[in-house]
Amino acid sequence: MDANLQSLYRATLIEQSRNPENNYVLENANRQSELKNSLCGDIVTVYLSVIGDRIEKASFQAQCCSICKASASMMTTRISDSSQRDAALLAEQLIDFLNDPQSDTFSESDSLQSLSGVKAFASRIRCATLPWEALQQALVD
Amino acid sequence: MIENLTPPATPDVLKQARVDFPILSRTVNGKPLIYLDNAASTQKPQSVIDAVSRYYSHENANIHRGVHLLSTEATAAYESARQKLARYLNASDESEIIFTRGATESINLVAHSFLEPIINAGEEILISHMEHHANIVPWQLLAKRTGARLRVAPIDDHGNLELDTCLSMIGPKTKLVGIVHVSNSIGTVNPIESIVTAARERGIATLIDCAQSIQHMPLDVQSMGCDFVVFSGHKMFAPTGIGGLYGRKSLLGKMRPYQGGGDMISRVSFDGTTFKEPPSRFEAGTPHIAGAIGLGFALDYIESIGRETIHNYESQLIEYAVGRLKNCQGVEIIGNPEHRSGAISFTMENAHPHDIGTILDTEGVAIRTGHHCCEPLMTRFGISATARASIAFYNNSDDIDVLVDSLTKVRTLFG
Repeated sequence: MDANLQSLYRATLIEQSRNPENNYVLENANRQSELKNSLCGDIVTVYLSVIGDRIEKASFQAQCCSICKASASMMTTRISDSSQRDAALLAEQLIDFLNDPQSDTFSESDSLQSLSGVKAFASRIRCATLPWEALQQALVD
Repeated sequence: MIENLTPPATPDVLKQARVDFPILSRTVNGKPLIYLDNAASTQKPQSVIDAVSRYYSHENANIHRGVHLLSTEATAAYESARQKLARYLNASDESEIIFTRGATESINLVAHSFLEPIINAGEEILISHMEHHANIVPWQLLAKRTGARLRVAPIDDHGNLELDTCLSMIGPKTKLVGIVHVSNSIGTVNPIESIVTAARERGIATLIDCAQSIQHMPLDVQSMGCDFVVFSGHKMFAPTGIGGLYGRKSLLGKMRPYQGGGDMISRVSFDGTTFKEPPSRFEAGTPHIAGAIGLGFALDYIESIGRETIHNYESQLIEYAVGRLKNCQGVEIIGNPEHRSGAISFTMENAHPHDIGTILDTEGVAIRTGHHCCEPLMTRFGISATARASIAFYNNSDDIDVLVDSLTKVRTLFG
């Protein structure tokens, strides 16, 4: 199989998209944000339960492709039980990394590195960043 | 519709056609390009590329303005393209052909110049559930400005227009019926003759969106009987940024200008301006001269093959594609219209259309994925996106075979 395709659809990522974590409406969410990729019609809604500076729990619902779903799954796991500031920083760093053609390593030990396959497919970068952009919107609102 | 598992024979006249399109010999991701995104935009034959290049190399000048030779030649070439279009559509007069940027601008022109001055609050515009956004949004904007009402004729689960309901919705309040001839998403060919006849009996104007039919089948605006036809050049082997509007002469003559500027006036003073007769009235400013010339050469190319030949061959090819895809494990075709042209939309059980599109791309197969600018239609089928393969006459059964074979790779990855 094509090496770029293999890198895009890593086994861990396909597994995440098939069995995503936190894929439900968060009943006690006090922040939520829906974002649509108008180019393709994909929609992601991010739910946050925020107490003070702390994101207690994050979840999502989506009508989207495998990359977007896996990205949302990893994101909601990562930012649950973290500070708003850390979550915002992580979102900014990941979006910058995925859009930067010069950089190929986010962090070797970080599961988010598995999203780096999109960098070889310009039209798919937004699939990976959409949940993170929705998160940024939720944190600002 | 009919499905067929026997590959159609390519007519002799089309065997060489592929060579005339230089882009079709390039590779994509190391594989030969299989271009099946023709409903989004078609490729250009060398004759069109040469015509545009020749215009810029030898004839470039503004039209309708200069007394010098280049301007005269450019004007003649531009107007010759209009004559070719008038003949192609069998318009009764070449002044019925207006150059625009494409089908979208043509619809906006009709909304602004024809319908807005005559429609009142509470009156109705009738469209169908399978329209492209270009034949929805201009009417929505107009409805908002005027208090008019946009009504939508339903479609059935197969993607056919519910004709009886549609006809029953044409009533005393209807001011315009705007219907797509061929659906860009699911390929349905609509029974426009019945709709136009019903509207005309009541004196109601009709607009037919032919963006997805003009390149696939013979069209004759006089026998269609409609008042407006819109189309885009880039979907019929011509450059982007050029397209057209056919409008019935008796209506165009009464319509207000679309945009103001040079070339559309007969006299200007600070006290007021008088406007030229159609088509100039609707072509303000310097138009896309090279594009119009290219469009004329695209028509020549289509005619050199023959529209009946194209229509017959493509009908067999689309039946073959439907047959192959129906027999492809895990594939669900969206819509099963009685009459289909050009496009097939499908989904796969576990793979999102974008994932299908990316995997096919690595095999050199170009298809379109997404909502195809038809969100209401997607909603009607309870989906957000499809994968769509769409053909032109230069495609053949081998292209369809590569498409279907590549889908097995999608199954391998996504199960």
